[in-house]
Amino acid sequence: MRVPVTEADRRTPLHRAPAAFKLAGALGMVAGTALLPRRLDALYCAPAAVVVLAWLTCRMPLAYAGRRLLPVEPLILGVALLTLARPSGAPVFLSTVVKSHLCLLTMFLLTWTTPFPETLQVLRRLRVPAVMLTTLALMVRYLPVLAEETIRMQRARASRTFTRRRGAAWHNLAAIIGQLFVRTADRAERIYLAMCARGWK
Amino acid sequence: MSVAVEIRSLSYRYPHGGLALENLALSVNDGECLGVLGPNGAGKSTLLLHLNGLLPEHPPKEPSVWIGGEPLTAKTLDAVRQRVGLLFQDPDDQLISATVFEDVAFGPRQLGVEGPYLRSLVASCLGQVGLRGFEERAPHHLSHGEKRRVCLAGVLACKPTVLVLDEPTSDLDPRGRREFKALLQSLPGAKLIATHDLELVVDLCSRVVILDGGKVVAEGPTVPLLSDEALMLKHGLEKPHILLHRHPHG
Repeated sequence: MRVPVTEADRRTPLHRAPAAFKLAGALGMVAGTALLPRRLDALYCAPAAVVVLAWLTCRMPLAYAGRRLLPVEPLILGVALLTLARPSGAPVFLSTVVKSHLCLLTMFLLTWTTPFPETLQVLRRLRVPAVMLTTLALMVRYLPVLAEETIRMQRARASRTFTRRRGAAWHNLAAIIGQLFVRTADRAERIYLAMCARGWK
Repeated sequence: MSVAVEIRSLSYRYPHGGLALENLALSVNDGECLGVLGPNGAGKSTLLLHLNGLLPEHPPKEPSVWIGGEPLTAKTLDAVRQRVGLLFQDPDDQLISATVFEDVAFGPRQLGVEGPYLRSLVASCLGQVGLRGFEERAPHHLSHGEKRRVCLAGVLACKPTVLVLDEPTSDLDPRGRREFKALLQSLPGAKLIATHDLELVVDLCSRVVILDGGKVVAEGPTVPLLSDEALMLKHGLEKPHILLHRHPHG
């Protein structure tokens, strides 16, 4: 589901704030949250209040956060559930869940208020290794391309799939994932050549 | 007139063993536009990759390609590569950055260009391809024609003396094709265009070579060569529609 975003949504003080300030703030928040005690107490109110305040200020749509939270939720719960295996693991379980959500929401607020190229520029100024920056930039650039390619493959398969059997659907999905992997490797090779053609070393 | 590109005895075998190019020789003069034609699998794209030193995987000690008189070897690779601008067939392979500005700036940055000069260079290259003001746009939000123009701007930003274009008009609508053709016409320097768009070749190229099976099977002025219907059919091509209605003497 696409979240409708108007220009007015993007004209909040947090959107206008310098990217370096927002990045430093977000990293500080994540580090601070991670260092909180491994049981829920009043200290957790501080990062939670910051997140709520920032959320209200920048008017991030609920669906924007929800759509991004959903795929990582199983991972968070999986890790948190492991803590229950320990004796008196319940407080650790709760603190892991809350910490993870606070950190993720902080990063969603950063991505909502800061265009990715601005974040990259800040990282470049901070002298983050070029290979890491290029990898990040390529990932963001090619995610939509891969998504479009997946949709095209899905449609092509669907147009010649004449059964609604669950097995066929799984078979198609597996084939698409396999094909996508091969095509992505081919594309990566072509991208590398195109980069070399413009002087990349 | 000086020679911009010279190829002598160029052969290339794919890593899996198939022969892609065999003892190929051709040259392009400064300011000349050469069309490279041939059926699928003839070796056109492989040839273009050699001009930029992207193939063979390890540059040979004995050169087969000369750009502006300079041999393409491991030692000269960087300098020669800068002089050859290569436009790839699929713009999505070439547009690698999150914004148009970053993408056009990619090549100059590799050459150490930064600051106000970089900004003015990017603006001027975007102006040259008719995309002034597109700096902050994301490549995946552009139309196919716009993507191609951004790719060309990124190539022009490296100030090449030779432009090498792989299927530059594929997937363009008629208007996009017309505009892109006019844009290519306006650019100075030597050009090599590998394409199946024969009308583009008739309009832009003064000379063509036909590749088949990795060899040059025909070479000559565009109109007489493309009018040879038997030759064209033999090599998986067709006499272009535009020549069917053209008087043989102009």
